[in-house]
Amino acid sequence: MAWNALILFGVLATSLVASAVIFLLAESRHTTRSVFNLAAAVLKLLLVGWIIRGVYQNAEYELRFTIIDGVDFILHADALGMMFVGLSSLLWLFTTIYAIGYLEKAPNRSRFFGFFSLCVASTVGIALAGNLFTFLLFYELLTLSTYPLVVHRGTRESLRAGQIYLYYTLGGGALLLFGVVALHVLVGDTEFVPGGVLSGLDPALHPLLIGIFLMMVIGLGVKAALFPLHAWLPMAMVAPAPVSALLHAVAVVKAGAFGIARLVYDVYGIEFAFSLGLLGPLAVAASITIIYGSVRALAQDDLKKRLAFSTISQVSYIILGISLFGPVGTLGGLVHLLHQGLMKITLFFCAGNYAETLGVHKISELDGAGQRMPATSVAFTLGAFGMIGIPPMAGFISKWYLGIGALEAEMHWVLGVLILSSLLNAAYFLPILYRIWFRRRERLWCEEKVLGRFETSGWLLVPTLATAAFALIAGVLAGMPFSPLYWADLIVSREYLQ
Amino acid sequence: MSGLLGTAALILAPGVPLALGVLWGVPRLRRRIGPIAPWAAVPALLLALFGTPGETAELSWLLFGSQLGMTETTRVFLFFTALIWFAAGIHGRGHLADGDHCERFCVFWLFTLAGNIGLILALDVALFYTSFALMTFAAYGLIVHDGGETARRAGRVYLVLGVLGEALILLGLLLAAQATETPLLPMLAELPEAIAGAPERDLIIASLWLGFGIKAGLPLLHFSLPLAYGAAPVPAAAALAGAMIKAGLLGWLVTLPLGFVGLQHWGTIILLTGLFAAFAAALIGVNQKQPRVVLAYSSISQMGLITVGIGAWMVAPEQGPLLAVAITIFALHHALAKAALFLGTDVVRHRTRRPVFWLWLGLGIPALALAGLLPSGLLAKTSLKYGVMAATEVPAAWSYVPLLLSLAAIGTTALMARHLWLLRLEAGRDDAQPTAWHGWALITAATLLGVLLLPLWGIDAPWMAAAGGLADALWPLAAGLGLAALAWRWLRPLPIPPADVLLLLTPLPGLALRAGRALGVTGPAARRVLRHLEAKALDRYRSTDHRLGRFSEQLWRREAPLLFALLLAVVALVGIRIA
Repeated sequence: MAWNALILFGVLATSLVASAVIFLLAESRHTTRSVFNLAAAVLKLLLVGWIIRGVYQNAEYELRFTIIDGVDFILHADALGMMFVGLSSLLWLFTTIYAIGYLEKAPNRSRFFGFFSLCVASTVGIALAGNLFTFLLFYELLTLSTYPLVVHRGTRESLRAGQIYLYYTLGGGALLLFGVVALHVLVGDTEFVPGGVLSGLDPALHPLLIGIFLMMVIGLGVKAALFPLHAWLPMAMVAPAPVSALLHAVAVVKAGAFGIARLVYDVYGIEFAFSLGLLGPLAVAASITIIYGSVRALAQDDLKKRLAFSTISQVSYIILGISLFGPVGTLGGLVHLLHQGLMKITLFFCAGNYAETLGVHKISELDGAGQRMPATSVAFTLGAFGMIGIPPMAGFISKWYLGIGALEAEMHWVLGVLILSSLLNAAYFLPILYRIWFRRRERLWCEEKVLGRFETSGWLLVPTLATAAFALIAGVLAGMPFSPLYWADLIVSREYLQ
Repeated sequence: MSGLLGTAALILAPGVPLALGVLWGVPRLRRRIGPIAPWAAVPALLLALFGTPGETAELSWLLFGSQLGMTETTRVFLFFTALIWFAAGIHGRGHLADGDHCERFCVFWLFTLAGNIGLILALDVALFYTSFALMTFAAYGLIVHDGGETARRAGRVYLVLGVLGEALILLGLLLAAQATETPLLPMLAELPEAIAGAPERDLIIASLWLGFGIKAGLPLLHFSLPLAYGAAPVPAAAALAGAMIKAGLLGWLVTLPLGFVGLQHWGTIILLTGLFAAFAAALIGVNQKQPRVVLAYSSISQMGLITVGIGAWMVAPEQGPLLAVAITIFALHHALAKAALFLGTDVVRHRTRRPVFWLWLGLGIPALALAGLLPSGLLAKTSLKYGVMAATEVPAAWSYVPLLLSLAAIGTTALMARHLWLLRLEAGRDDAQPTAWHGWALITAATLLGVLLLPLWGIDAPWMAAAGGLADALWPLAAGLGLAALAWRWLRPLPIPPADVLLLLTPLPGLALRAGRALGVTGPAARRVLRHLEAKALDRYRSTDHRLGRFSEQLWRREAPLLFALLLAVVALVGIRIA
């Protein structure tokens, strides 16, 4: 047991220690920093692999100590949490590799990588949190550690984006705090338990519980970029590509979506939430966000901005899945947590590659990019097909489960939302692919650089191809053990059908 | 074929082209893959010839857990699909092997082929839909290959309709899967029965019928076909028109609830649509000026006849066995003949030293077969008529269907006459090196064999009826030829553009063009105006979007504290009120 607690702590500590050491390292010690960073990421991945194996075999991993009477700090590894930890550790490794290549010769790298590791540490903390208090702690830490990353470039625009980012997230955090305190008053320390802890309360309190739910969903919805709380996300695009990739695929938006999952499954309990009538409005909010994000994405010419609006739309698939009452819908939502991460990080890596190698930021300048950078463009194509939901990409698996889940929950209109969203996704991704592959380049590239002997630097190319391959494999081999679908199935069978 | 060998053959048939397509990604291998690409269809052809229907291959690791297998019907589809791709590949060796000039053609070719074969062999819904999507999207690369404005427009229309079709099919499959016992792992074979009993039956049938109909050239959804067949390189057009159009038909056959319950209203709608397609496509087709576009309309017309069979099957489920055979024969006969005609358009353009007589004989065989004079066409049409007539408990108006089918044959004959006439004008125009004629010869020989052997193929075919049908088949042929002769002497083709309905569907550009012409503004000028308007609209959309973004930013930047105070106050009030 003590061993298990130590390993659990190790998962959190790897990135925390990495962060501290990197802050202490001198700016010029590039190699040491990179080696240390990568070593920490690999070590963490190994530890996570170990725990995933353990959780699969029903081993207990828990670390708890009392802070003040009645408030515990709890880290606990369950199937749902490990899914998120697994995603963030895997993508942390790739993003670190990518960032090393991307920020070569850029200033303030020590600060960047320090906060980068801190950001991952808080994500892991969110995933492993065993009660609402611990969750809130890391949730706020995430806000604070991502701010320096968003404003990293220090330009006027990025400072403005950072300011708005803080307004939104701190405001959301405040609402969440209110909710946590309110629940604490009602039931004491709110541990995450499958099936929830609130269903036994006096029915007279139900209206109050609805109010608290609303408040907490708004608080979490800010990070998950639910409409109309999404405006910070497209602005945060001024951050460097690895940060955008991390923000969109792993850290911030996912923390929001994951928080909503915890709230619904492990605090309120899905059946109780359903009986309170909370899931219907949540599904409507998610559906509006899905459509709204896609419609806005259509109008963007800036590649990263289009991807940002696409994130707004896609993350709400997860929330939509959560709000579908029934195991299949849950499965669809949870599996999309992983799938969206893999696909979206690929797309952002590609956008970064185009920007870094060719100086291209706008979609209208992408003509003929497939000729110049075929590997990156193949990765982008796979990611885009996944987003549209074309089989055999991972996105199709999510969509199929969401669709069947919607039908099982007898919410047929959701099917319309899914189909419409796919069409909109096709409408804003296929023209990009057309430009990349079928248009001919007639002018020179904006600022073309020759980086390494491949089409771009190996540091940038390898993570891009790796995540694209994962997004493909997650779809093609969905039926294999330890695929995202398999793991989501495990979560559902363990937590949902208690 | 023994178990292991059979499994391997099932996997290799779609696997070989897929693997070759993936390997093409390695630049060093490209030069080697080009020359063998035409042969990628051979494993599928061998499977169709020597495989045993009923064998399956489990691929539990693929998607949700997939299965490949072959049934009696899909064997026929596999046979002509593989044969057409093989022949077209041989014909298009120049396109496929030329590594520098036509780089991408090869990879799109291989992926489209893999998708086409995969969807025929798939037994589960997920793999079927995956293969269908692979085929749809990869074929875009074949259509736009030439890179000109015509090809790009054709590609655009094709892709928009293709995406729409995929969405409709997904909707139908999801709803249908939900009605099966295992919604997460549905097998194709379970779908028809599940749909027949599903509460959303009409919605499912509508979405599947329209979704697959986009591939099968359903009227009003057909307009990507003439554009695509006219724009794609000839071998690709042959594969599109011979094999891929039948994928839509196969989609209908494996999903629609045929033979389970009589669906009078659906059957009538489908039957009427089919008849409409058969006649309207012929009328539009004879006015076309490009041989390949004429052939495209002929395809739409012929698919209309097959659709009549589907409609009849829906109304009279008890005629299922007979109609299934009729539809399969018709599909086989039309696929081979149409592929031969398409490849022929290329062969005839080049000066050749081969005797002209044999060339025109070769070109004439598939045309005559389609017109229903040669045994295969005769049998196909007769068995269809026979199937329709044998249906009992149908409205009295049905007695006219056979007559209408005969009248449709007049249209087919006229189309074929028009096609051959246009070919004659084009013959020998091209001074370029003659392209390979082996592919064309192969498919023509196959058609000839089909013409002679199909009647012998042991089906409980209404032989006597067919023999009696010869007389029935002769008069439409004579009428068609007579009509063609009259038209050639006295009529001039109407100026109907290849994408006929597209202009009707988007009346604005068409009307504007016409109005412009009336005012003396030429087509290009009117088009410029349109483009300008389009850009204006896009600009407006963009600026609205921009303003929306600015507004929310301003709101949050300036008034954030106020907003939050308000929000908190509301929440607190609600809380107090509730408590």
